[in-house]
Amino acid sequence: MQSAIQKAIELILSGDRELGNILLVTAKTCVTSSLIALFMGVPLGILLGAWNFRGRRFLVIIMRTLMGMPPVVCGLVMYILFSGVGPFGRYKLLFTVNIMIIAQVVLITPLVIANIETYVSAIAPLVQETSIGLGLRPWQTLMLLANECIYPIFSTYLLAFARSIAEVGAVSMVGGAIAWKTNVMTTAIMLYTNRGSFTLGIALGIILMSISLLVNIVVTVMQGRLNR
Amino acid sequence: MKISACRKSYRGKTVLQCPEMEYQPGRIYAVVGPNGSGKSTYARLAAGVIKKDGGGMAVVSHEKPICHAGGSQCQNSEWRKNTRIKEILYMPQKSFPFRMSLEKNILLAGNDRQRAAKLMESLRLSSLSGRRARELSGGETAKMALARVLMKPCAMLILDEPTSAMDMESAIAAEQLIHEYTMETGCCVLFVTHDLSQARRMATDALFFFHGELCEFGPSEKVLYDPARPETRTFLEYYGGLGQK
Repeated sequence: MQSAIQKAIELILSGDRELGNILLVTAKTCVTSSLIALFMGVPLGILLGAWNFRGRRFLVIIMRTLMGMPPVVCGLVMYILFSGVGPFGRYKLLFTVNIMIIAQVVLITPLVIANIETYVSAIAPLVQETSIGLGLRPWQTLMLLANECIYPIFSTYLLAFARSIAEVGAVSMVGGAIAWKTNVMTTAIMLYTNRGSFTLGIALGIILMSISLLVNIVVTVMQGRLNR
Repeated sequence: MKISACRKSYRGKTVLQCPEMEYQPGRIYAVVGPNGSGKSTYARLAAGVIKKDGGGMAVVSHEKPICHAGGSQCQNSEWRKNTRIKEILYMPQKSFPFRMSLEKNILLAGNDRQRAAKLMESLRLSSLSGRRARELSGGETAKMALARVLMKPCAMLILDEPTSAMDMESAIAAEQLIHEYTMETGCCVLFVTHDLSQARRMATDALFFFHGELCEFGPSEKVLYDPARPETRTFLEYYGGLGQK
């Protein structure tokens, strides 16, 4: 085990090309999917939290249910939709990075919406009452609400990014874990472990844990600054 | 300013029932009554924060406020002349301190820095102007909220327990400021309070709410010192002493 860790560190420091490609595909998939989920989820979360309309509760329940959707179920649905016989088969997206991004967006967006909705619904009545009292316009109230959400938006993004980088079920189903093409860190760890090649698996595990540690440090540091 | 007859129920239980009321410009109306009597609900309905039963807002009409300061003070008020009159301004019981500095919070209601500085000075907030609103104490937050709502002239100012978190000195300064604002803008002020001595100091008229209904309404000299209704008399005997001027 000790020699495997030593070899893994040597591999990271040597700038291995295959490892570099896996990191690049992972970064492309996770950053893109988490950003798309954020841009779609934050406005929807604010509206869902601040706006009391008929059917709101039903939507909140759906979002909270989708938050717990197993990645393999998401992967399976995407696979069926984008396979040759599926309604979107003509786009030929299966086993590409793009379908991995789409699958992750489907998986992460409900998480972003539900997180922001929970925060906004707690402060919205007070913010709206104060804004109406000051004669502010609805768009000004919405901007103030968004300003109040800076920390939750930030922490939700990191949560979404962490979920996407650690996710394996959906991306392996729709991406196929093809070496040099759609292999991300999590699928690569599975692949190399199955092959008995622990060194690369441990190297990727170290990188994954380091990213997780970094994310947590950033959250902790920003928490104090932003949540004022 | 007329506020239509309104009724408000929550889960089938009526919490407020009030006939149509007419409020005169330049007068200060104290809304008093025991806890749960519907005072804050009335203030929120009048401010348009909540809708009355069956939908719609409670305010039906208003006239442009007339200044009652006696000529010169009104004519000289550049601030009032140059600022668009808002219909209703309202300070809720729990005003929200937005995630920005105290000064920026006040400037949210209007971009008049001179006016903001004057209000901060009157409420002894000048030294805290750059401080984040979230770091203020309860009393300081209440003063900030009051300054924020007094940034613009209006036809009707509604204040829900504006000084309940303030110390005596600050409360007196706040009362003075509300008086000046009323004189300068000619608006009518509706303020909810638990403090009977404050109601007696400030109000020209009073509304007494009891069990969700407007029980008594009239000049404060009458309602707050020699009320006609037994409910009001009992309340005054318990809280503030009946007939003590």
